Amino acid sequence: MSGTTAFWYASRATGIVSLLLLTAVLVLGILVNRQGRLPGLPRFAVTSLHRNISLLAMAFIAVHVVTAVLDTYVNIPILAGVVPFASGYERVWLALGAVSFDIMLAMIITSLLRGRLNRTLWRAVHLLAYLSWPVAFAHSIGSSRDLQHGWLLDLGIACALIVAAAAIWRLAHAARQLPRAARVAAILARYSPPAGTKGPGQARERIAR
Amino acid sequence: MTTTAMDEPAAGSAAPANGLPRLLPLVPGVPEDLRAHLARYGRPPYRGGPGLLIHGAEAAGLTGRGGAAFPVYRKLAIVAGARGRKVIVANGAESEPASRKDALLLRVAPNLVLDGLQLAAEAIGASEARLYLHPGVSPEVLRALSQRAAAGIDWLGVTITEAPPRFLAGQESALVNRLGGGPALPTFVPPRVSERGLGGAPTLVQNVETLAHLALIARYGPRWFRALGTDTEPGSMLTTVHQANGTSQVIEVEIGTPLRTLLASQPQGAEAQALLIGGYHGAWLPMAQAAPLTLDNATLSQRGAAIGAGVIAALPADRCGLVEAARVARYLAVESAGQCGPCLNGLPRMAAGLAELARRGHRRQVRADLERWAGLVTGRGACNHPDGTVRFVASALTVFAPEIAVHARGHCSATNRRPFLLLPDGMPTTEDDWI
Repeated sequence: MSGTTAFWYASRATGIVSLLLLTAVLVLGILVNRQGRLPGLPRFAVTSLHRNISLLAMAFIAVHVVTAVLDTYVNIPILAGVVPFASGYERVWLALGAVSFDIMLAMIITSLLRGRLNRTLWRAVHLLAYLSWPVAFAHSIGSSRDLQHGWLLDLGIACALIVAAAAIWRLAHAARQLPRAARVAAILARYSPPAGTKGPGQARERIAR
Repeated sequence: MTTTAMDEPAAGSAAPANGLPRLLPLVPGVPEDLRAHLARYGRPPYRGGPGLLIHGAEAAGLTGRGGAAFPVYRKLAIVAGARGRKVIVANGAESEPASRKDALLLRVAPNLVLDGLQLAAEAIGASEARLYLHPGVSPEVLRALSQRAAAGIDWLGVTITEAPPRFLAGQESALVNRLGGGPALPTFVPPRVSERGLGGAPTLVQNVETLAHLALIARYGPRWFRALGTDTEPGSMLTTVHQANGTSQVIEVEIGTPLRTLLASQPQGAEAQALLIGGYHGAWLPMAQAAPLTLDNATLSQRGAAIGAGVIAALPADRCGLVEAARVARYLAVESAGQCGPCLNGLPRMAAGLAELARRGHRRQVRADLERWAGLVTGRGACNHPDGTVRFVASALTVFAPEIAVHARGHCSATNRRPFLLLPDGMPTTEDDWI
C-alpha cells in the first residue's frame, strides 16, 4: 500500500467509524434527555458515556478531515473542513460535511462552557444535533461511493433507522410524560409505603424492587 | 461623601442605641408603627444619589441574613454597576418551616425593612421596588406602606407579590420567576438574577432582615454596626430558637453568642440530646459537641454546620432523632421542584431509606445505600435543594448513628412518639401549587 492510498483509506475508515459514533452519541443524548437508563448502568453513567463518545467522535472526525486533506489523489483545501463550498472536489457533499462539523464544534464548545452559559442558549445549540446528524449522514452517503452499495449501505440504512426510532421514541415519551407537579408524588409513592401500611416487609419489598 | 463621614450619625436621627435589640421593638412583641419608628430611628437618611451606601455596607461587613451569608455590598455593587432599568426585591417569603424571624420582623418592625428597601433602591438606582411575602404577613406591611405614603417617606412605590407556601418559593431565581408571573420554580444559574433578573433587568434580591440592618448602617454607620458580633461576622442577627421543652421564640442575638446561652434563656424542662443548626438544609450536632460552640459561621463550619437562616432546634432526649430526621427528609423530598433528575429521583429514595432506618429492624445495607445516594445527588441540581437535603440527612446519619444501632437490634430509645419538628403538610399536585 503506497503512502497516498493510505491517507485515502484512513479517511474513508475514520469517516465510517465517525458515522457509527455519532449515531451512538445521538441515541445516548436522547436517553440522557429522557432520563433513560442502560441495563446495568446508573443514570449518570449514560451522561458520561454520551459526553465521552462525543469527544471520541470529534477525534475521529478530525483524523477523517486531516487525512482527506493530506491525500493527494484529490485536492481538498484544509479550510473545506469547516468552511462550506471551499472544496472544488464533491463541492456540495463536502459542504454538508463542513456544516455538520461546525454544528458539532458549536455543541462541544457550548457544552464545555456550560457552567458559564445561559441554559437556554446551551439548549438551543444542543437541539441542532437533530440537524447535524442528518446533514452528516447525507455527507456520508453522498460523498462516498462505498456507502452507496453493499454492506456499507446496509450499515448506513441501519444507522438511519436507529436514529429515526430513537427520535420517535423521544417524541412519544415526551407526549406521555407526567406533568411536572405530579412527578414528585409518583416517585415518592414508588419508594415509600402508602399511608396506613406501615409493615416493614412491604416497604422493604418496594425499595428492593 | 466618604466612608468616614458615614461613621457619623446622620443628622436628624435619634441617638443610636447601644446593645440589643437593634431591630426588634424595645417593648418585646409590641409592633412599632410609623410614629414609634420615627421616634426611635428618625427618617431614612437618603444619600441623594446612587452608590454611596455601598461603601457603608462594605465597611460594616454586612452579610445576607436569608441563609447564604453572601456579602451584601458585592450584590449591591453588581446591580449598581449595571446599566438601564434595575429592580430591587425585599424577600420576606421565609419558606423554612422552622423559621419565623422574617414573619415576626415584618409584623413588628415593617418600617425598618421598608427603610432598608428604599435606601438600597437609592443606592443601586432602582426604578422598581417589590416586596415578596407570604399571604398572612401582608396586613401589617400594607398599613406601614400607606402611613409612609401619607408622610412622604418613600422614594419609590412598592408592589407586594404573594409567595406560594412552598419550601423553594424564596429561592432567588424562583422568586424572580414568580414576580414575573410564572410559577415559583428555580432555574439554572447563570445568569444570576443580579445580572439578568425580573424581565431581564438586573435585580437585587435581599432578605428583609438584611435590609433592616442596612437601614441602621445608613443611619449609624459601619463602626456602630461592628460594635456587636465578631470581626469577620459583625452585627446582630435574628434567630428562631426551638427549645427542648417545645417552646420557641425569635431572639435577636449578637453573632458569636455561645449557643449554650441561647438555650439557657428558656426555663429548663427536658434536656436536649442534639441541636439542629441552620434549619432543614442545616446540620445536626450532638448536644455535647454543640454546647461549647458559638453562633458564627467561622466556628460552626469547623463542625460542618452553618447559621443558615438562623434556626436552632434542640431535640429533646425523649424523642427519636431518626424519626424526626425521616419526617423532615420526606418533607424535603416532597418540596423538590421535580425539575432535575438527581433531586427528583434521589430525594424520595433517600427519604424512604431514612424512613426505614427510623423503623425498628431495618436491613443492614440501608445506611451504606443512603451514603452512596448522597454522593450521587450532591452538586447536580439547578438550586441547592439537593445539596442542602443531603447535608441534613448525612449529619443525621452521623449524629444518630448510636440510635441506628439500637434500631437494628429491634429497639428504640424514644419514649415520646409525638412529632417534634415543625412541618407543614400538603403536597404540590398541580402547577398552580407553585403560584
